[in-house]
Amino acid sequence: MKKYSPWFALLARLILGGVLLVAGFLKYQHLDKSQMAVRAYELLPIAIANFLGITLPFLEMAVGILLILGAAIRISAAIGGLLMLTFIIGISQAWARGLSIDCGCFGGGGQVAPGATNYLPEILRDTALALMAIYLFRFPQSKFGLDRLTSNGEKTNG
Amino acid sequence: MANQKPGRDNFTRNLVIVVVVGVVLLMLVPTLISKGTKTSAKIPSSVSASHGYGIVFNGDVTNVPVVDVYEDFQCPICQQFEKMNGDYLESLITAKKATVVYHTLSFLGPDSIRAANAGACAADQGKFLNYHRTLYANQPAENSGAWTNLALTILGPAAGITDSKFGTCVAGGKYADWVTNVANAGAKANVNATPTIFVNGKELDRKTEYFNPVKFKAAIERG
Repeated sequence: MKKYSPWFALLARLILGGVLLVAGFLKYQHLDKSQMAVRAYELLPIAIANFLGITLPFLEMAVGILLILGAAIRISAAIGGLLMLTFIIGISQAWARGLSIDCGCFGGGGQVAPGATNYLPEILRDTALALMAIYLFRFPQSKFGLDRLTSNGEKTNG
Repeated sequence: MANQKPGRDNFTRNLVIVVVVGVVLLMLVPTLISKGTKTSAKIPSSVSASHGYGIVFNGDVTNVPVVDVYEDFQCPICQQFEKMNGDYLESLITAKKATVVYHTLSFLGPDSIRAANAGACAADQGKFLNYHRTLYANQPAENSGAWTNLALTILGPAAGITDSKFGTCVAGGKYADWVTNVANAGAKANVNATPTIFVNGKELDRKTEYFNPVKFKAAIERG
């Protein structure tokens, strides 16, 4: 297990980082829609939702790139994991309240026709990504990363 | 990378972190600025900032319902809505029975922004409603890129626009900043889909009143 852990961590880094980078980039291309997606959760005051709709894609891209490069893995994984937790809460409350929205995870977003929602797969996917983030936070030592490791495999920082 | 000796400097790693975070911040700041409402934006005729930068018809008529229409010229559902209720809305305008405000949103893509700009140019010619109708009648597939500025200019004469200024206005993206302002106003009004219709500030029921002309009419008459 200890032998393979750096490879698992590499895989988790590439998947979580790749998803975050792609999701952030797709949102970045349509920021109006990204703002709309956040508003449609009906969770935040409109001004804050609009601000988040613009800034979130940039956060996702930054964390995604850092995870792929393997720099500041623990911090990036913590942010990525918290993002996933937030998304799970957001989607769950939308589902529970009977809203009909597109999660806007990969661009898109806003209200959709009732019955066109896709909540369960979205929650399961985000849960899987959150678990990867937790794994990376716990076992950040990975192959082919920029984070420096000490001889006993513990990270020095990040 | 594992089992490196401690004590080697972290220069590369730290440099990468600084560069990534720095570049992203450098992208974020101009984005926030360009997304801001532009007070210096050129504004087409019949637009009122107090109506969320929408194109207003019958703004001076009192004691009639105010109908706010948030739409995107590219959105297929807006086209369906237009087919179903467009004539009725225009009849309200002609008969001065309602104040109708068109908010041309543009979140679907660059084609929407060009079309919204062209709609504003048509408003300057006093032909917004005709052009509105012409755009929906000639709506291409979403984000196909078919609505170039040239294509949008060619649609002008079909809407009865003869002034050559229209073409200049479309090609120059004269009202691009205004399009941003309309989008921001829509965001502040919590519009999360197109079409979205408010009657006297209250949104219609999406499940029943949008695509049923009888109920739509009733909702507007109710005020």
